[in-house]
Amino acid sequence: MRNLHSFRSHLISACLLVFLPAMLLAQLPQDEPDLRSAREMAPVDLTGTWVSVITEDWRYRMVTPPAGELHGLPLTPLAEDVMNAWDPDVDEAEDLACKGYAAPNLMRLPGRARISWENESTLEIEYDHGEQTRLLHFDGIPPADTERSWQGYSVAQWERQTTLARGIGFFGVGGGLGDLLGPLEITTTHLREGYLRKNGVPFSEGAVLKEYIVWRQDTVTGADWFSLISTVEDPVYLRGLYIRSSEFRKEADDSMWSPRPCSVR
Amino acid sequence: MKSILKNFAVLLVSLQAMLIGSLAFAQSGTGGGVYEADLQGYWYNPLYEDNRDRGEGPYIGDYLGLPLNEAAIQAAEAWDPTILSLEERQCNDYAADYAAHSIGNQAIWKEVDPFTNETIAWRLRLSWMGGQRTIWMDGRPHPPEGAPHTWLGFSTGEWVGPTLVVTTTHLKNTWLRRNGVPRSDKAYVVQYFTRLGNLLTIVDHIYDPIYLTEPLVRSSDYIFDPAGKMGTFICETVEEAPRDLGVVPHYLPGENPSLTEFYEVFDLPIELMKNGAEMLYPEYLNKLEAMRND
Repeated sequence: MRNLHSFRSHLISACLLVFLPAMLLAQLPQDEPDLRSAREMAPVDLTGTWVSVITEDWRYRMVTPPAGELHGLPLTPLAEDVMNAWDPDVDEAEDLACKGYAAPNLMRLPGRARISWENESTLEIEYDHGEQTRLLHFDGIPPADTERSWQGYSVAQWERQTTLARGIGFFGVGGGLGDLLGPLEITTTHLREGYLRKNGVPFSEGAVLKEYIVWRQDTVTGADWFSLISTVEDPVYLRGLYIRSSEFRKEADDSMWSPRPCSVR
Repeated sequence: MKSILKNFAVLLVSLQAMLIGSLAFAQSGTGGGVYEADLQGYWYNPLYEDNRDRGEGPYIGDYLGLPLNEAAIQAAEAWDPTILSLEERQCNDYAADYAAHSIGNQAIWKEVDPFTNETIAWRLRLSWMGGQRTIWMDGRPHPPEGAPHTWLGFSTGEWVGPTLVVTTTHLKNTWLRRNGVPRSDKAYVVQYFTRLGNLLTIVDHIYDPIYLTEPLVRSSDYIFDPAGKMGTFICETVEEAPRDLGVVPHYLPGENPSLTEFYEVFDLPIELMKNGAEMLYPEYLNKLEAMRND
């Protein structure tokens, strides 16, 4: 009898021990919205000055390539016609020198990016080459009255790398590796028609620019880097997704900051 | 009865420990383990960057965008492309670093321990030459310095945030660009693999104490192709040109006739050929403008 009593006590205690946390968990808000600002949530500090290191497509980035050169571009026939008609003198005369400095091409150009928080939900990227400024808005969709511009309207979010198998079940252990705030994802619309390369390779107003900033630390030198991985979709001028990735290294200060205006040459 | 009770208690306590572990993890928000992205699948290489270099091939003498020292430029100037017609070189594999920035697609899969389900290794098959890389994830050390060097080297990896960081040593000497710009067998490479939805970006940091004045950093992008399938790559050697035994095509210093063609075709200053790392940075624009205005 004493054994039975003892068994009951053990059973109740053990059940409480096992299931109490589960009951508590049930009371916890699941997937509760994160109320921190974008700045507070930032998994990494991107602020500072970053220099573009031009090791790829050098001849298309450091120099304006000749008209008609289209290596490595998934262009539609219409885009090729537009590209072949490119006349830098016309762009200059019509005050369109910044067509090659719009968001889809700006950070492909050799230059420095100065990144700072304009406020708790807006990250600012100033670019010295072309003297352009991009604003990355973490607080929602573009306002209805957004006008088209070279830099368009950019919506940003810290991308959440997640696994569905965040198992609480006994056998889910090992499947759940939790969440990770990863790269910065940026979607830009409301672009003014411009160039994907300075030699007149066009993108249309319907283009959507999607970018990711992925940071890393050089395991050997300790330098901070980020890749800007950029994709452009354009129903008018591109046959498919156009992808490029550009490399930036952090500098100690902005002493090398050197603004230069847009140029068609 | 005591024994049953004892066993039952042990079982419950074990279950409890598992549950508490799960709870603690679930609440951590940033993960209690190492995040491991799924890199598996067939990855199509669209060649949107450095298209000419990676596709039809670069011009002889085009060293733009590479932080080369004088020894590298000398070696590149001595390079004769007909060397590739030597039978013993016709089926050379692409090295691990060049392969990522070359023409082929890649298939990636992982090997897991059947008991723990931990990833033992990532395997990469390259469509060009069919080379297969292994990236060991089980913490094994790199071989000693004197171990043999191979085209694909010896690679180990670890996850840092959403990125697989891969260190490769024991590489054979090869080229950085398919026009004879050399990379030595003293070089080692750190690669950063990041998957973003249907995109995979591989960033190479190449450290070469023999030929580079600073690490060469370049990236390559791939698109997930769910219907992609690796074909068979067979390379057979043939005698492409009659040649005396032991002849190795090359140019002696000052004798390469093809070095300036690239600069003439694209109206670029010939000085660019020797400017090394300084040409990688925005301030070089000023020097370039001055050269072009002369």
